[in-house]
Amino acid sequence: MAFAFRIKQWIGRVFPQGPAGEDRLLLIVFGAMVGVCSGLAAVALNTSLHGMESFFGQYRYNWWSFLLPGIGAALSSIFLEKIIREGAGHGVPEVIYSVSRHGGLLRMRSTFSRLVSSSLTIGSGGSAGPEAPVVMSGSAIGSNIAKTFSLNERQRIALVGCGSAGAVAGIFNAPIAGLVFTIEVIVGEWTALHIVPVAVASVSGAQISRILQGNQIPFTHLHFDVDVTTTVAAAGLAVVTAGACVLLTRMLRGSHHLAGKVPVPLWVRAAMGGLAVGIIGLFLPHVLGEGYHVIRKMVEGSFDGGFLLVLTLVLAKILATSLTLGWGGSGGIFAPCLVIGSFAGLMFHRGVDALLPGLLSVNEGAFALLGMAGMISGMLQAPLTGIFLIVEVTGGYETILPLILVSVISSTVSHAFEPSSFYFRDLVKKGHYLRPRTDAKVLADLRVSEVLEKDCISVPKNMLLGDFLKVVQQSRRNYFPVIDESTGEFAGMVHLDDIRPYLFDSLLHDTVFLEQIMAADTETVDIDDELSDVLDRMDASGAYSMPVVSNRRFVGMVSKATLLDRYRKELMLQTTD
Amino acid sequence: MLHVFRNTPHGREELLQAAHFCNTVQASPVVYIPEFTKFLLYLENDVVQVDLDKTFLRSPETAREHVEEIMAEMNVDSWRFFVPRHFSTPALPDVPVGFHFMGCPHTIADLRSKAGAGYIGPRIRRILASATFPVLLFSPVFKPFTRIAVMFGGKANAATALRLAVRLHRLSGLPISMYTAEEGRRGRKYYEKLLSKNALTGVFAQSVSDWHIFPRKEFIDNLYRIPHDALVVMGAYGHGAIRQLLMGSTVEIIQAHLPNSLLIAGPHYRGMS
Repeated sequence: MAFAFRIKQWIGRVFPQGPAGEDRLLLIVFGAMVGVCSGLAAVALNTSLHGMESFFGQYRYNWWSFLLPGIGAALSSIFLEKIIREGAGHGVPEVIYSVSRHGGLLRMRSTFSRLVSSSLTIGSGGSAGPEAPVVMSGSAIGSNIAKTFSLNERQRIALVGCGSAGAVAGIFNAPIAGLVFTIEVIVGEWTALHIVPVAVASVSGAQISRILQGNQIPFTHLHFDVDVTTTVAAAGLAVVTAGACVLLTRMLRGSHHLAGKVPVPLWVRAAMGGLAVGIIGLFLPHVLGEGYHVIRKMVEGSFDGGFLLVLTLVLAKILATSLTLGWGGSGGIFAPCLVIGSFAGLMFHRGVDALLPGLLSVNEGAFALLGMAGMISGMLQAPLTGIFLIVEVTGGYETILPLILVSVISSTVSHAFEPSSFYFRDLVKKGHYLRPRTDAKVLADLRVSEVLEKDCISVPKNMLLGDFLKVVQQSRRNYFPVIDESTGEFAGMVHLDDIRPYLFDSLLHDTVFLEQIMAADTETVDIDDELSDVLDRMDASGAYSMPVVSNRRFVGMVSKATLLDRYRKELMLQTTD
Repeated sequence: MLHVFRNTPHGREELLQAAHFCNTVQASPVVYIPEFTKFLLYLENDVVQVDLDKTFLRSPETAREHVEEIMAEMNVDSWRFFVPRHFSTPALPDVPVGFHFMGCPHTIADLRSKAGAGYIGPRIRRILASATFPVLLFSPVFKPFTRIAVMFGGKANAATALRLAVRLHRLSGLPISMYTAEEGRRGRKYYEKLLSKNALTGVFAQSVSDWHIFPRKEFIDNLYRIPHDALVVMGAYGHGAIRQLLMGSTVEIIQAHLPNSLLIAGPHYRGMS
């Protein structure tokens, strides 16, 4: 740790902070470092995936090969739950949660756990992709490097983004997609503070991938003559891909929900899902694995089979992905989205061609590309990621006009049916989707203890009104907490308005006790309450301040005035680049 | 004070100690009955996953009742249960770290072969290394403590330990005895200078009733001087894994030889508000 601290000091000396205290140069150095590491993680995942595929591939032609996805998913679950004890979720939502709630803190074990588990799931034939696991891995690498060098929260979030970008850039050999995905989905903040190091990390990740694996794009680059008819038809395709997105999202959710009701250990559950995928694969082998070889065929326009087969494959791939991921297999939804999207594109082209022969002059491969963009954009509700990813992985710019159209329409239609993307839905539901510079984020970063006003004078409930008036004379506050002196517990509140009726009758000063005039049913706030909830309760009751009580003891007051003051300071802190 | 409850006889001893500690120093226990075998502590610059062994999930139907019984028996009137609100994944709750103390057994994971004297589990060490609150390591059996023994070793965190002990003394009124294992031939004056450097001379004179200095070589033999009914307060430096492996840890030596409960302040402990 001391060594890391010295390196950080050295980097700080070589790359001093700017006039406004910016640390961009420092972040560029760390961004490059994280990009290289996450690029290496992407290469490691690619290599292990190919290793697993060839290992399981030798058994693919046996009659019992339908068991393979079940075995892989079970091993994957055992590895995550019993060996690594990861308590794993889908991967990307965990990264977003960590960025939103905990300043990008991620566990060390996450740097490698998903690489192994997703290799087992996908290599054995499970319908999932390697991208989300490598994003998790890259982000965890960024987080742990930030931790080692004791970087602050803002810098750590930037390095988490760098890890994600380097990983996506490395696995797809697509640096722009890595940058855009990270800013659009993971960090959610288009500021130079993030864009600069993330871009550097993207370049590093892609460069490492090119050095170790060669400068190849995942899918063949073909020239497509895109005309105005194709661009207009892309709008129709967008509706189809949006429908597929909604279906996949709901099937994933339903599958996860159903699996949760089966009272068996997690690895048995994963095996059951994998077994079902294996059975589907017996009849439709195209649904197995990440499925890039099928996409290549579709993009090249050499995929056999008619409209009905492609329609069946769309539905089967959606089902297989839900069974793999919903029942406990490890992997992401990027690759299945690409496969489903290309099937959907092919299906749309063949459908239009059957109804209106000769209308679409462009090769059906172009529609496979457009389908992929529509599906990614709709599923992630991140149209820029869809556009740049497909342009980069196919090496073709000539389809850019329909690509933009299909991406924006697909994400908009998906949004109409599913207001939050697959990654964000649970986070939004639980109030954990907190983007920087938003009201929710500012409030979430403040605690009740930070806005606590402690200058209140507590008074015992058996105090006489006359004595209380002397206390009032010494205080500048309108509220007074009343305490039960025998237990020390909070009993209620007295507001100056409460004593007004008794003020001018001096006889009452020696006969009325505070217990008789206090408000015993005062609504209180717990020290652990969320400030957003506290504010909602204040709005609902019309109160400007509320007493904070912990373990039945009064600890202070929380008021809108102090809250606004701290809110403003926090907002200024978050919006300073 | 955060206490992770296990519904077993060992867990009962631990909760009794936590309750007694809280009563003595006027803290309020917050009892967490885990529903999963792991939880996350998001510390300032680290996230620690605490893997519990399965005894922590035993007999959940009677756990609450047993906690309530123990709290009533120990006359703890100000306490509450903790129910996690946030989850990193569906089976991984986040436990907040804004507590003044945390109570732990000396190992929290299922490492039965290592769960003996002199072993402090890696998770507990990570918590100690990053926590901004002191950690109370329970002794195997509950025994009420009637005094405070502070280990003042002269290392970076010794002053923190003494400040913590003084704070507990002010809250509880219990007398403080101070123990120093002398490094080389530094002599009493060296340690007095150290007190002065940390602005602790006045506090020392007011609060510490006796000070025992003995040679470092005889450290283990002199641990016998620490009263059986003392709460031992000490600081932990929190050095890395390699140094830990090569040089061992004073905390582990003390834990191996003393049956007392230990209250340990890690390097990030900032003092009580």
